[in-house]
This record gives sequence, C-alpha cells and structure tokens, in this order.
Amino acid sequence: MPRRTRDLTMSQQLARGPIDLPFLMLVVMLATIGVIMVFSASFATAVNEERRATYYFERQAIFAVMGLVAMYIISRINYQHFRMMSLLVLGISFLLLLLVLVPGVHTNRTDGVRRWIRSIGPIPSFQPSEVVKLGVVLFFSARMSKRGSEKKRQYDTSVTLGQIAQKLEDWGFMELVPYGVILLAIAVLMYFEPHLSGTILILVPAAAILFVGGVKLRWFAMGGAAAGGLLLLMLQGYQSKRILVWKDPWAYSQDGGYQIIQSLYAIGSGGLFGVGFGQSRQKQLFLPEPENDFIFSIVCEELGLIGAGLILLLFALLILRGYWIALHARDKFGSLLVVGIITLMAVQVFLNISVVTNLLPTTGISLPFFSYGGTALMIQLAEMGIVLSVSRQIPAPKQG
Amino acid sequence: MPRERQRPEEQKKGTRDRRANRTILLRTLVLMALFGIGAFIPLFGKLYAIQITEHENYQKRAIEQQTRDNAVSASRGRIIDSGGTILATSGTVYDVILSPTDFVKLQERWDKAFTDSETGRKKTEAKGYYDRPELEQVAAALGEILGIDPERAASRLAKNSSYEVLATRVETEIAEEIQKLISDMRLSNSVYTVPTTKRYYPKGSLAAQLIGWVNWRNDNKGAYGMEALYESELAGETGRVVTARNGDGTEMKYSFQEYYEATDGNDLHLTVDSTIQYYCERILEKGVEMFDVQNGGFVIAMDPKTGAIKAWANSPDYDLNNPWAVTDPVLDEYLKTVQEDPSTTEEAYNKAVKETLERQWRNKAMNDSYEPGSTFKSMVLAAALEEGVISESSTYYCPGYYMVDDTKISCSKKEPGHLSQTLAQAVANSCNPAFMMIGQALGAEKFYNYLADFGFLEKTGIDMQGEGNSIVWDRRTFTAASTQQNTYLATASFGQGFQATPIQLITAASAVINGGHLMQPYVMDSITDSQGNIIAQTEPTEVRQVISEETSERCRAILEGVVDGGTGKRAYVPGYRIGGKTGSSETIESRRGEDRTIVSFLGFAPADDPQIVVLLAYDAPKPVTPGNNLTAKGYYISGGNMAALMAGELMADILDHMGIERNYSESERSLIDVTVPNLTGQTAQVGKEAAENAGFTVRTVGEGDTVTAQIPVGGAVIPSGSQIVLYLGQEKPADLVAVPDVRGRTAAQAQEILGRYGLYLKVGGASKYMSSNAIVASQSINVGLSVERGTVVECLFSDNTMTE
Repeated sequence: MPRRTRDLTMSQQLARGPIDLPFLMLVVMLATIGVIMVFSASFATAVNEERRATYYFERQAIFAVMGLVAMYIISRINYQHFRMMSLLVLGISFLLLLLVLVPGVHTNRTDGVRRWIRSIGPIPSFQPSEVVKLGVVLFFSARMSKRGSEKKRQYDTSVTLGQIAQKLEDWGFMELVPYGVILLAIAVLMYFEPHLSGTILILVPAAAILFVGGVKLRWFAMGGAAAGGLLLLMLQGYQSKRILVWKDPWAYSQDGGYQIIQSLYAIGSGGLFGVGFGQSRQKQLFLPEPENDFIFSIVCEELGLIGAGLILLLFALLILRGYWIALHARDKFGSLLVVGIITLMAVQVFLNISVVTNLLPTTGISLPFFSYGGTALMIQLAEMGIVLSVSRQIPAPKQG
Repeated sequence: MPRERQRPEEQKKGTRDRRANRTILLRTLVLMALFGIGAFIPLFGKLYAIQITEHENYQKRAIEQQTRDNAVSASRGRIIDSGGTILATSGTVYDVILSPTDFVKLQERWDKAFTDSETGRKKTEAKGYYDRPELEQVAAALGEILGIDPERAASRLAKNSSYEVLATRVETEIAEEIQKLISDMRLSNSVYTVPTTKRYYPKGSLAAQLIGWVNWRNDNKGAYGMEALYESELAGETGRVVTARNGDGTEMKYSFQEYYEATDGNDLHLTVDSTIQYYCERILEKGVEMFDVQNGGFVIAMDPKTGAIKAWANSPDYDLNNPWAVTDPVLDEYLKTVQEDPSTTEEAYNKAVKETLERQWRNKAMNDSYEPGSTFKSMVLAAALEEGVISESSTYYCPGYYMVDDTKISCSKKEPGHLSQTLAQAVANSCNPAFMMIGQALGAEKFYNYLADFGFLEKTGIDMQGEGNSIVWDRRTFTAASTQQNTYLATASFGQGFQATPIQLITAASAVINGGHLMQPYVMDSITDSQGNIIAQTEPTEVRQVISEETSERCRAILEGVVDGGTGKRAYVPGYRIGGKTGSSETIESRRGEDRTIVSFLGFAPADDPQIVVLLAYDAPKPVTPGNNLTAKGYYISGGNMAALMAGELMADILDHMGIERNYSESERSLIDVTVPNLTGQTAQVGKEAAENAGFTVRTVGEGDTVTAQIPVGGAVIPSGSQIVLYLGQEKPADLVAVPDVRGRTAAQAQEILGRYGLYLKVGGASKYMSSNAIVASQSINVGLSVERGTVVECLFSDNTMTE
C-alpha cells in the first residue's frame, strides 16, 4: 500500500463518497438485458450476412464491457474536473461536425447522408452527434451553474444600441445569446449531414439544462413556438411523407411503411407473454435491422407486454433515480449535468419506443443500452459514469 | 446543495441562491414527473393497444407472412364391393401454383448477387453463378410441360400476386417434370406444386348411380350416390403443413414447422357384388337394345333374407371417371338431334345438355316410383293366403273381364278369357279378374293393412341418396264407401292405380318369399378405417313380420308355378328352381293412349330357399307402329316376353356365380347342353364309359379296340342325352347331308328329324323352357345347306300363345 504523501483536499474527500447503488444496478441490469437482446435480435441478420450468429453480440458485448470499465473510471473522477473539460469537448464536437462533412472522412452511404465518421485504425466508426450531445450537456451545465454568481452586465445606455442591449439584458435575453449561438451553429452543421433526430436529441437536453438552470419560462414558450413552426415548415416537403406513412402505414406498405408495419406485426404478435426469448419470427428478415433502432419491437415480440413493461419500468426507475440524484447533487453544476444526461436518455427512450410503436412518425433514434452500436453504447455508459460521479458527492443525510 | 454558513455580506447573494435552488428543485421535479412518469404512460398505453387489444389482428397478419400454409389432402376412403373389388379409390395429382411476387424477389436477389453494382456487368465468375431466371423462359418451359399457351403462363407470372393457380389436377409424371424445372432454374417459392387427390373408378360406369362421384370443382366432395351419402366417412380430415419462411421467402423447415396430420378417410364396403352388378347391367343393356326400350330401365338384386343389395343397375348410365360426358347411345343420339337442329339456340342446347346430364346421374330406381302392375299380385296373394280368404283349392272363372260397379275391367287375355282356373293357375296366368275377386275377398280394410305392412306407405330407409315416395291413396279414400272405392280396390288388386318405388316392391316381395320378414334394405356392409379396423357394420334389420312362415312357403310354391309354365316361363333355367311374377305396368301415359308400358319381372331363386331376388324392368319398349303390341324385332310387349326372358339369363348367371348347384329333373336332363369329350385314340371301353358318364348315349360302329373317329367331334356342345357315334377301326363316313327344315316343329319333333340325318339339335336363346306349345321359330343353319354329319343345328323356339 503506497504511503500517502499528503492529506486529501475537501473535494477529494467528497469525491470518495459511495456511488449511488440503485442507479448503478439499474444501469448494469439494462445494459445486460440490452446486450442479450442484441444477441437474440441480430443472429438472423448475422446468419443472413454469412457471418457468425454471434457476430453482433460479440462486438456489442466487448463495447459493453469497455463501456462499463469507462463508466467505473469516470465515476471515480471528481466531476468538478469536467467544468474545465467542457469547453474542450465542445471544441472537439465542432471539429468533428466539420470533419464529418469532409469527403473521405464520413462513411459512404448511397443516400449521401453524412452522419458517421468512418472507422480509422483502431477507432471504430461513430457519429459526431454522440460527442456533441456530451459536449453541449457539459458546456451548458458548466456555464449555467455559474449563472447565480455572475453579475448583471451593465451597458452604456447613452447610445441606442446600449439601451436596446440593456433592455434585452433585463428581459433575460442576453444571457441566452451564447447558448443560442452554439445550438444554432450545431443545428446548421447538422443540417448539412442532415440529421434531424440527432439535432432534436441535442436541443432537448440543452433546453432542459436551461430550464432547470432558471431561464425565464417565456423564452421556452417562444423557443418552443419557433421550433414548432420550423418543424411544420419542414414537414411541407420531404418530411411530409413520413406523416402520411405514420397515419396509415398500410397505404405505403411498399414505400416507407414497410418497416413500421413489420414492427407492429412483431410487437402485436408478442401478446401478453411473448413468443419466447430467441423465438422471434419477425427478425427473420422481415423487420429490417432488427438489432438496431427497432430492437424494442423484437423485445416486445419475444418477451410480450410483460417483458416490455418490465423494461419500461427499469427505464422509468433509472430516469427517476437519475433526477433524484440531480435533486440531491452537491452543487448546481452536478444537478444540471445530471439533468442534461438523464433528460437526453429519457428523450431517447421515449422517441425510440414512440417510433417503433408508431406513436410518432419514424425517425432514426436508437434505444439506449439496447440498440446495436458500440460507440453509442460506450458513450452512454460513460455518461452514466458522470451521473455516478455526481452521486458520490451527495452529502450524507443528517443524522436524526 | 452547498450549505455554507452565510456571512452578512453574502446574505443578499444567499437569498438569490436559495431562490435559484428552489427553482432548480421545482423544475427538476417537473422534468422528473414529465420524463420519469408522464412519458411512459402513452408508451405503455400504446404497447397495450398493440399487444393486447390488437394482438390477434397483428398476429394473424404476421403469421400470414411468416408461414406458408400448405394443405395436406387426406386420402379419401375407398369404396369396395362385397368380394373386395375396388370400385372407387383415390390417387394423387398436383396443382401447379405460381407466386409472381416471389419471382420478382428471386430476380432481385439474383441481381444483387450476380450483378456488379457499378458496371452492371454479370458476375459470371462468381461462386454459385447461374443464369438469371427470366419470365419468358420460365413461362415457355412451363407452357411446354403443361401443354398450355406460354403467353398465358407469362401473363399469370407477371401479375402482382403471390398466388396464381396455373394448372390443376396434373398427373404425377408431369408434376415431377415441373419439380425438375424448379430445381434447374432455381424457381423455388415462385413456382411450386401442391398435391391433391383425384378419384378413380376402376370399373368405369359400373354401378354408376349407386356409387356416385366426387366433384373436384366442389372441393372433392361427393356429389351423388354413396360418395355423397357417406361423404363424412369417406372424406377424412385434411391436414396442414405450416412452414416458417423468412422475409426472403425461404422456407425454414428446421426452425419451425407444424404438421397437422391428415386423417385418411374410411373405406366403405358395400353389399354389392360387382360380378352380379355386371350381369345386371349387361342384361339391362341387352334388353334395351333388343326391345327398343325408350326410357331405360333398372335391375335391383337383393338378398331376400337380409335385405342386402347385391346389385343396383340403372340404364342409362355414364362413366364415373368422366361424369360430364354422355356415353349412353340413346342420350347421345338425343343430344345430337338437338345440336343438329338448326333452330336450336346455344342456350337451348346447353339446357338440353344439362338435362341430359341430370338424367344420366339420377338414380331412377331410387328416386322414381311407378305402378307396379302384376308383380304386385305376389303381395295380394300372400295377404289373401295369410288371412285365409283363399286357398290352393279356390277356383276362379275368368270370362276375359270383370265387372266392377257396372264398369267392365278386362283381363289381359281377351274373351273368352282364362275360363276356369285354380288359384295356382290364376297366378300363373296373371289373371286380373281372379285377382279382383281375391282383392274383394280380402276387403279394402285388410287390403290396406297389408299395403301398410308390406311397407308401401313409408320409405324403406335404405342407405341410399334420394329415396322417393310412393303415391298411394290415404286410408280413408281407399276404405270409405264411395263411388270409386270398388274401383280402387279392384285396380289395386292387380297393382295399378298407385305408385310404389322399385325398392319398396322388391323389399315387400322379399317378405313374401323369405318367411314373411320385411327387412330394411341396405347397401353399406361395413366401414373400416385405414388400418382395416371395423368402425361400423350393418346388421340385417327386420322391420316387421308381415305373413307367417307357412304362408310364405305356400306363396313360393305358387310363384314357382309362374315360371314353370306360367307367364314367367321364359325365365325358366334348367336345373334351377326359379319363382317369380311378371308385370306389364300401365302408366299415366299409356292410359292417355301413348305407348309407354313398363315391363318387369320379379324373380327369386332357388324357389325352396331363396338366396336372391331380382326386380328387372324396362321402361317403354317401342312398338313397331304406335299402338302395336309388337316391337320392330317382333317381341310381344309384355313382362313375360321381355323381362322374364332376360331375367332367366340373368338368374342363371347370378346363381352360377353364387355357386348354387343345379338340380336337374329327369326331363330337364335331356336338354342340358354338354360338351362332347374328345375320345379319339381311347380304347373302345374307356371311350364308351367316358361318353356315358358325360350323359350321352353311345352307338359304336366297327369291331376295333380303339376309337378312330367320333360324331360329333370333341368340343361340340349338344344336349345331354343325345347319341354319340364312336367308330372303332373305321373312318367316319365323309358324305354330307342336307339340313332339313324343322321350323314349326316342336322340340321333340325337331330332334327326331335332325337325328335321322345324323345332326344334333341345340336349343338356342336364353330360355330353355319347352312347353308343348313351343315351336321352332328359326334354325341356325339354313334349310338345304350341306353339312357334315354330327353338325349341331341351333334352333330358336317361340311360344306366342301366352299373354298376360
């Protein structure tokens, strides 16, 4: 045992608190079930692609293990260090968003969409948006946590511009400008990919951080209205097809509705008890990419409403426990950080399951811990590590 | 949250912090409620809706696409006669099905596998490369194998459908060629064959209306006859093979396959003997042709003791293997006439075809009733004997008519009539006045009771399709005093004025001769499953005892007299004791003055212990000129001259087949035809004994020890009792003799005359009965022709002194 050379600082001592066990257990349970379901959902695809039946499973399992290790390491880091790192991560995010648009860096897809940076050397291919999510959450939390301690800016009211600025400052607009600029820049960059669902997944947790951070509610009303309007505008063109398919998939069974129809068949044939683990028939090349965005359909088919309901319950508990950690965090930064991460995950769960059940029009959002994708899983587990890191510094309840 | 002690200068900041902290708390709680609880409610609700509420709907649709559900036809049970001969059996044939959507997928898969995505070049060097399946080639190949227009095949294959029936009921060899094509061109899933069954009737038209047929246009269900009546037993249960298929349409037999085994149908064993059936149909056909019969006819043969049907023949008939074809010459002729008539519209012709088909399919002997005529007298006789109102010693005087309430009802034998007759003679003569007297003696009330007891008021309950109803007066009409009442009784006494079905008549007649037991007739002997276990068996069912054993015995004796010298004598077969009753039924048409008489014969044998009873009828022999009593071929239109003549031949065949031994009387023996043995080369002693053992008398010529020649030659068929000449050491005389004229002579005279020339007499035709009135009508070798000694001259006898 190495000898300590000096006493631990206060914050170091705090960072040595116990991690939140319920949260950890929920994460481990979901990640385990997720990896197992990847095995069940993917083996028909793997066999059809003339690969080992366990091909996808093995890869996912490796990433899961790596992710858990990463989670453990991160959970041991004092999250206060993330304040400094946030700007760096955000910077890298922008770099990646620019890089992915460069020919040769992104993967070649027949539809010309540039969402993935291709695998280079040992680094597997990944979506920059996964990094961007983290960068935004870190940066926004860090900046927002200082909100209370910042002095109100004073503008030179002798000039008209200064008067306007002062007015806007009073309304609480000026503090939003940096956030708005960052989000707008990200949105524009991702528009070129294009990646609507990814943009939504960045906007919502960012908004949640601003919301919890204390930004005046009127700005959310205005922002929501603006986003809604923009969405409506976009739905006029290419996107409107999705709405038609969403309303009646069978009318478009040959173009656009196929996947959602197959998803509904899978979920519906599961019934109350499911057809049994590994017994899905819809994964036999009926449901496209059953191991990916639509993995939950296979879960529903194999495990039934009872199995699917249990998994929903685990997610709900994880989310509730996450917010509980946010409520009890040692400081504002910790709270906001957890709010951002948990909201991100909650939105992702909600949107994914809404899509596979045709509650919402189809959009490409994966299910945390379940959908196949190594880097995404790793980043998710790393994010869980951050939450656990925050949980360590929760002050012990006062003795009675 | 930070809980530091606040210094005064920080108090303001502290207040702000607390407010901010409360905001964080509240807003986090809002998010917590929204994302931790709120968001899951619609998700769970939607899942519940899909998985529980809509479960069956989605499951059904999913299974539809995930599985290929092929029916496995159950093998239909066979229909087998009493001797084990198969009358109906099933074989496998195939339907050829196309799945055009799978064909498109097949092509797409090929394109994906063997086309370079950039250049569009075929990758012929790729592993497992094969030629792309092109629609035209597949259609052409299918067209060639199936013998259909390739254009048609191509248009079916181009449809946007996943199920197109290209061909039905294709034989196994062709289906195998299709299978080969499928594997050669790699067409699995887009073309496939589905086995189905086809019904085969090895005996063709035999017992057509009885057996019936299955209609493949209606799911292979029995359409007529036994096939329809015993459908549920014969059909079995269709099985299914449900095979999982993946999204590509590839079958995944190992992952999921459910096999619902087909249950084969049960075998139906009939009481019918196909040999007797064949005899019946042959005699029916022969009679129809001989007597120019217009409306066909029927024969029913039954075991009188049990009611088991031995044969059930209808004319016209048809080929069960092709029931839509008209094979009967009379019907065919009719259709041709309609077709060739220039005024016939297509509609009218189709209607005629439809009617003709229905006519050939219907079971006339089952569905229709007719006035039984004199055959019914058997039942009147039995009733009167049973009631004791008449006896063998009763005598009847027939002046050729009988007066009923001032109406003169004539006898078939016109004035002066049959004159004085005993009961037996009255029956043998089928004398109507005598029977009117018997009916009167019985009285309407009792008469009607017997009508009921013999089963003429109800269906027999035979297990056949479409048993018809009799048409009989109700009891009040028949028995209550009225102006018509006596006429009803009088006409009923000789079987007219009411209608009965053939099966009622033969069942009642069986009761008369079998000891008085009215049996329920039946056709199904037993039903066995595919392993041969008996599932059901018919036990003979007695409906009631109508008359006593003793009365029955008296009836048999009297009815035997009908064949032995009475109106039924043409049914006489030497060696067999046959009893019966002839009938020449008037019909509604004949009373209107049209030519429609139904001539019939109800016969049974052996008379002392009946083993078989037959009812043979021809409907409407055509007179040579309207109203004439003779047909174009010179046959007198009556049951005795037509039905009895045919019945004799039929009974002889049936009794021989049944292995009933002939017992010849002394007088019969001389008329039995025997084959002459070849005795040449034998010693004189051996030859002589052999000839005598065969029933011949022997005259020897010469003094040698061995037979050197014989007259007639070995193999000739001559009546037993004839004389054979054996030459011992001598050649037989080679001179020829001229055939003498024996026409108009009686049998004894003819035999004597021919014998003088060294010729032999053989009695030709079916009937071997020789009454003193029978004279030679024709001889087989013309008068004056020179023939060798020993030649057999076959003579046909006729006796037109008898009518009914």
